[in-house]
Amino acid sequence: MIDKEQYQRTFGVLHASGDFLKEDITMQPAKRFSARRIGILCAAVILILGMATVCYAADVGGIRRTVQLWIHGDQTTAVMDIQNGQYTMTYEDAEGHTQQRGGGGVAINPDGSERPLTEQELLEHLNSPEVAYKEDGSVWIYYMDQAMEITDLFNAENICFVQLKNGDETLYVTVKYQGAYATSLNAFPQPENFN
Amino acid sequence: MRLSVDEAFRRYGDRVFSAAFSICRSREDADDTVQDTFLKYHTQNADYADESHLKAWLLRVAINRARDITGAFWRRNRVSWEDNMNELEFEQPEDRSLFEAVMQLPEKYRIVIHLHYYEEYSIEEISRTVRRSPGTVKSQLNRGRKLLKSILTEDGNHD
Repeated sequence: MIDKEQYQRTFGVLHASGDFLKEDITMQPAKRFSARRIGILCAAVILILGMATVCYAADVGGIRRTVQLWIHGDQTTAVMDIQNGQYTMTYEDAEGHTQQRGGGGVAINPDGSERPLTEQELLEHLNSPEVAYKEDGSVWIYYMDQAMEITDLFNAENICFVQLKNGDETLYVTVKYQGAYATSLNAFPQPENFN
Repeated sequence: MRLSVDEAFRRYGDRVFSAAFSICRSREDADDTVQDTFLKYHTQNADYADESHLKAWLLRVAINRARDITGAFWRRNRVSWEDNMNELEFEQPEDRSLFEAVMQLPEKYRIVIHLHYYEEYSIEEISRTVRRSPGTVKSQLNRGRKLLKSILTEDGNHD
């Protein structure tokens, strides 16, 4: 069986890059969003837009909006700054602490070119379901004003299939435990189709 | 005590990264976790009783951050950990098998296994770090070990 020496030698191959130390950390804002993360969001948004087949105006830059959205089951008012398909959002959480979120992305035009997401496209995705792993080991999914514990709904392959209702609309959600999740308005996304 | 960010990273950066990787199973997410953790260390500007207190704080922040990142909705499309395996240079062939076996464990087992074997934390220390009861940690450690043994045995039989 394994011993600590082998385990430490094995995981000793992992090293942090430390690239962020090359920048002046004292000049950084409280929250940063890397280009890599934005790229990841793009992939999700592109996937959903492909199903939605909706067109929006292409150019909305430098906009500030006060929006209402659901965060962990609480309707929250947030100030959202949008520019070039990216946003930063500031709001107060239930304890009155100021929190920040951000993200962004691009959509692919029919000719293969990319454009920044519009304000409306970004707003539509703010209220996407969110999966949270609590410190007590429980797993929750939040959608609009709903909060549902799904800890015991994972099957032997650690996959959870759950339907969420919003009025007459049904959202099908597939969650991989401690991994990615995907949603669809038509049917449960198959686990092998997303990472 | 208080260390500069550079010094704190030099001493604990790899440990924070390793703990984050055991949750995220992604180099990119683990790097983001490390960045966010040390940014929080910088902005918090707190004092710590000693080095073990500082290390425990960094690991707890990193574990919580890694879980947030793993569950965030923008993480729907992610490179799997297997795709990073060729970048890792293990000293012994059995190390690669162990790494792959640990990565196959559910997260709730991976992190307690990691804190026990890598950080040499006791049940009580793991309990405080992951905010689970000592009984839960003990149970998860036992189940994780059994599952790990099962995976390693199965892989050995296939070879």
